[in-house]
Amino acid sequence: MALLWLLSAVASLAEQRFPPPDFEGGHQLPVTTTPPARALTLDYLDVGVLGLSLGLAIWLVYRRRSRKGLIVLSIFSLLYFGFWRHGCVCAIGSLQNVALALGDRSYALPLAVLAFFVLPLAVAIFAGRIFCAGVCPHGALQDLVLLKPLKVPPGLEAALSVLPFLYLGAGVLFAATGSAFIICEYDPFVPVFRLSGRALMVLSGAALLGLSIFVGRPYCRFLCPYGALLKLAAAVAKWRVRVTPDNCTQCRLCEASCPFGAMREPQARPGTQTHARDRRRLGWLLLLLPLLLAGGGWLGYRFSAPASRLHPTVSLADLLIRAQGSPPKIGALTPDDLALERARQAPQEILAAAAAIQRRFAIGGWIFGAWVGLVFGVKLISVSVHRPRTDYEPDSGDCFACARCFEYCPNELVRRGVIPATTLTAAAPEISGPPGLDRS
Amino acid sequence: MNPGISKPSSVTRRQFLRDGARAAGLAGLGGLLGLVAERSTAKGTVWQIDPQKCVRCGNCALYCVLEQSAVKCVHAYALCGYCQLCTGYFEPDPNDLNTGAENCLCPTSAIKRTYIEDPYYEYTIDEQLCIGCAKCVEGCHRFGNGSLFLQVRHDRCLNCNECAIAKVCAGDAFRRVPADQPYLLKTDTF
Amino acid sequence: MLTRLFQVEAASPPRQSGGETVLLAWRLTAWVAGVFSLLVGITLLVEHTRAKPNDLLQPPQLIAAKEQLRLDPTNPQLKQDIRELDWRLRQRYFRHLALMGFGVHLLAGGVIVLVLAMMQAARCRKRVPLPGPKAAIPHPAARFAARARWAVAACGIVVGSGLFVLSRALGPNLPTPAAELDKLLATRPEESSSPGHPQAADAASLAELRQNWPRFLGADGNSFSPSTNAPASWNPQTGAGIAWKVPTPTRGFGSPIVWAGQVFLSGGDARQREVICLDAQTGKILWQQPVASVSDRPDRTEVPDSTGYAAPTMATDGRRVYAFFANGDCAAFTLAGQPAWARNFGPLKNPYGHATSLATWRDRLILQLDQGESEDGNSKLYALDARTGQTVWQRPRKTGATWATPNVIDAEGKAQVIALSVPWVIAYAAADGAEVWRAECLNGEIAPSPACAGGLLFVASPSEKLLAIRPSGQGDITQTHLLWTWEDSIPDVTSPASDGELVFILTTSGMLTCLDARDGKKQWEHDLEMECHASPALAAGRLYLFGQKGTAVVVAAAREFRELFRTEMGDAFHASPAFVQDRMFLRGMTNVWCVRTINEAGKEGAQP
Repeated sequence: MALLWLLSAVASLAEQRFPPPDFEGGHQLPVTTTPPARALTLDYLDVGVLGLSLGLAIWLVYRRRSRKGLIVLSIFSLLYFGFWRHGCVCAIGSLQNVALALGDRSYALPLAVLAFFVLPLAVAIFAGRIFCAGVCPHGALQDLVLLKPLKVPPGLEAALSVLPFLYLGAGVLFAATGSAFIICEYDPFVPVFRLSGRALMVLSGAALLGLSIFVGRPYCRFLCPYGALLKLAAAVAKWRVRVTPDNCTQCRLCEASCPFGAMREPQARPGTQTHARDRRRLGWLLLLLPLLLAGGGWLGYRFSAPASRLHPTVSLADLLIRAQGSPPKIGALTPDDLALERARQAPQEILAAAAAIQRRFAIGGWIFGAWVGLVFGVKLISVSVHRPRTDYEPDSGDCFACARCFEYCPNELVRRGVIPATTLTAAAPEISGPPGLDRS
Repeated sequence: MNPGISKPSSVTRRQFLRDGARAAGLAGLGGLLGLVAERSTAKGTVWQIDPQKCVRCGNCALYCVLEQSAVKCVHAYALCGYCQLCTGYFEPDPNDLNTGAENCLCPTSAIKRTYIEDPYYEYTIDEQLCIGCAKCVEGCHRFGNGSLFLQVRHDRCLNCNECAIAKVCAGDAFRRVPADQPYLLKTDTF
Repeated sequence: MLTRLFQVEAASPPRQSGGETVLLAWRLTAWVAGVFSLLVGITLLVEHTRAKPNDLLQPPQLIAAKEQLRLDPTNPQLKQDIRELDWRLRQRYFRHLALMGFGVHLLAGGVIVLVLAMMQAARCRKRVPLPGPKAAIPHPAARFAARARWAVAACGIVVGSGLFVLSRALGPNLPTPAAELDKLLATRPEESSSPGHPQAADAASLAELRQNWPRFLGADGNSFSPSTNAPASWNPQTGAGIAWKVPTPTRGFGSPIVWAGQVFLSGGDARQREVICLDAQTGKILWQQPVASVSDRPDRTEVPDSTGYAAPTMATDGRRVYAFFANGDCAAFTLAGQPAWARNFGPLKNPYGHATSLATWRDRLILQLDQGESEDGNSKLYALDARTGQTVWQRPRKTGATWATPNVIDAEGKAQVIALSVPWVIAYAAADGAEVWRAECLNGEIAPSPACAGGLLFVASPSEKLLAIRPSGQGDITQTHLLWTWEDSIPDVTSPASDGELVFILTTSGMLTCLDARDGKKQWEHDLEMECHASPALAAGRLYLFGQKGTAVVVAAAREFRELFRTEMGDAFHASPAFVQDRMFLRGMTNVWCVRTINEAGKEGAQP
């Protein structure tokens, strides 16, 4: 020890306690290795693969109308975007990066991530949820294990389908304030793709995967925040998935073909009496909407203070305030103690930063709360509006374009030459007869 | 087709509404794109630790999504004093200056000590064994030159969108850096 | 008919017979794969929960064994045990890693086989789709809509009440940083550093400080006491004028400080440091507190015996007393002796041992930690919150080790911390540590502390020159604010003493020089013929000097030399004296002394 102190006293060449020695033996210093990060070209390769997969999926759904082709594409996407890219970069998470870029001017959003956010949405505006059909690894994983689909009660389905929009709101709130990417943090399938992760998330991923054997795509339908965006875009899509491009013969064979509850039955225009009642109800619901917005906004504002503690700076400021007056700890320091010590070096800066974040959260809370109110209001209105429909057709917002229903349609089978057209004409009288009797 | 159900007028009205909504959606998406595009960068980003901010709390070893953390100890050889009594290698008040486990700080024995010439020893990190616990980094920082420090190794890092360690970093030392300059190496001790 | 229609695709007659066995085979495969995956999954889960990362990072047995070795450092068996334990722990951890990596792939394989088998089994059982019975209820859509409305409403109520409960349970009780920030800004008015601002309640006023001897070289750091009735003479042999004399209770070179009837001393060695409080009336020990294990790290500061652990003099702000030791320990105690806080600033690199004393300003403790060589960049000036020991501000200093004590002076209404370095005298704003001005004039090993009197700052460049600086201006004031210099008989250890009229300097060899503070003209010089380490002190118009060998000399603080008193104390003095009213406190190597003014009635003198 004394030797070392002496050494240090001998000469100070650089700003070091122990100056680097001059080796008499001419020892060469090793070089610190720096394995490079993933090459930029590979990031753009991902974007290219995404674009090609989307194009291929459009062709498979609208031109080839091939479920088998989609399964192959799903497996490819699962392997590439899922297991090879470890589920990251993904369109679902990218929405938070975009929100952060909007909220934080200093954050530079990588263009590849922006492309992952924009491309599936742009496709959805024209061709529906093509991304979900065979490009998203999350969807592919759930879709491939769906073996014994059960029907979710329609009421429950309606209630649960609100959740993605709420999750979307929360994800944007926390991302835009720079607090956390909760959608990534609590993603159930990314740990599966990585084959490692926090035990809780691995278990929830396994549980959700087990559930999706019986319930079609539970994450996509009842949680996925990006799915919520895609649903909005797909609702106004130019081209929509149809069970048959030809005339529907109302054979009802496709009635139970959709495991995702997206198939809509033909619906007659309601009678005048019901019509009047429905209109009255609609009027009341429209009046309720501003109330829901205001109430939700207030609740969101109240919620913003505890929510802001998810931000590391706010939680540190909280720690600082609580520890005020207590002396610095002596002995082994925990990470919290070290953080506190850091905060104590510049308490005013930490508190000022935390206060600024809380102010942003207060505004964000109003917007988030109003969004929650809006979602419930619009959902109530949408389940109260009747849309007269002539044919069996998938709801364009809910349809994942998985192409399952195509194989149920006799018209379609004839068109593809699987069965001769004569069978259909021969079968026609039977179809219009009393249904559900012929079960031999 | 059942002609009694729908009227052509309602179909066209709905069609018109839908077209309008699509145009609005496209315009919205385009607007968002324009707003965000000016803040975007062609380069990708990766996570890295700023060694000047690191407080060596030990969270890196515990919170990485990988079973063995992607954060490793890195040695800036040019800063090292090649001390015989390396406070990053030896326990405080070591029993003896040899490589026995009772004297060593590293829990996985990831630091190799090589004799160069009297009285100098070289210390190298075996990354297969290193778990990024920062014990040696703390020792070197407290009593040595601070030539040992932690870095995210990009041959291992999965580059999660939300780094699990960054969230709990006691020193607020994690930040996104351009992927073509993915390391924040130490060139200065303090 | 319909059945026939689909038979074309689903199950053709030739495959019918073999279909059953194929189905059975797939089902069996699925079961085997399922059970296998389940077993692997459970094993992984158990392994995951069993192996905690802390088992490797902080293994209790290993820590205990190492602790045991510390007590019994030569036991070879103990070393062997530790090595084996360490080997086992590492082996277990890396086996765990390998097992997890392998098991996860095994699990993934099992699950893939399971899914494939189940898919195939499902294909074999593929049934023909048939339309179900037409719903008997009228308006199924309306019924569905009603149910959906209720479900959505219920969901909304659940979400809304969830938000409400969350914000209720966590929200209002939280102090918001914004409010706390306002409070912080409101309770720290000295941040504004306006001179007329009322003092914070948690420190004594300057008047109170001047009534006592709260730090090295007195309240103003210029060795000047406002006392008018300090003892003029005493007799160690007869005991006349000696109020009390007690054996020095602890080892150290620091000078005594005095506050409200209490005398404080620090002392100690490598094993144990301590702070001792004596009753100023009787010399009895009122309390004695150890300062130990402030840092959990082993002490790596080399402390030479020639200066020891307690060369720095303590300081008080009238609320607490603060002690600093050469190994970097800093401790605060209440006046009653309760420990308030402690921090370690070590290891300190100082060839002679750290000797810089403490200073206070309002409720802050000023700590000058210069060490090493100037290239090391390890030197810092700290202002600590005196209540908690937390750093309020700190400034790096580009200097090597120094031994002079910082002084807090009032410069044109603003408090400045004067800290010496080579070659700069630097003034920092006491409020935030910002550098105000610097002057280039010092050289060598800086030990004499800066003294400020009559609006001038006196600093000694050891054995070279004494400078008078006007402490004002901004930036480099070397060319503009140096008033005068004196280059004869300059001290290298003791600090200058000044009342603002005259400046007294004393070399280690005992050469005492008196200069005019205004223009630096020499008034007189006199060889005291004694070795001196204690700085001269001014009180009641007299200058008190104490030699290393125990000689005490009192001379008149006047423009002509007059020796008033000389005696042999039979002690050795390195510490400077402290004056409070009619008492003088001395710390000798063998005794602590309290000397009191003798008046005719033999009572205490009138108070000033």
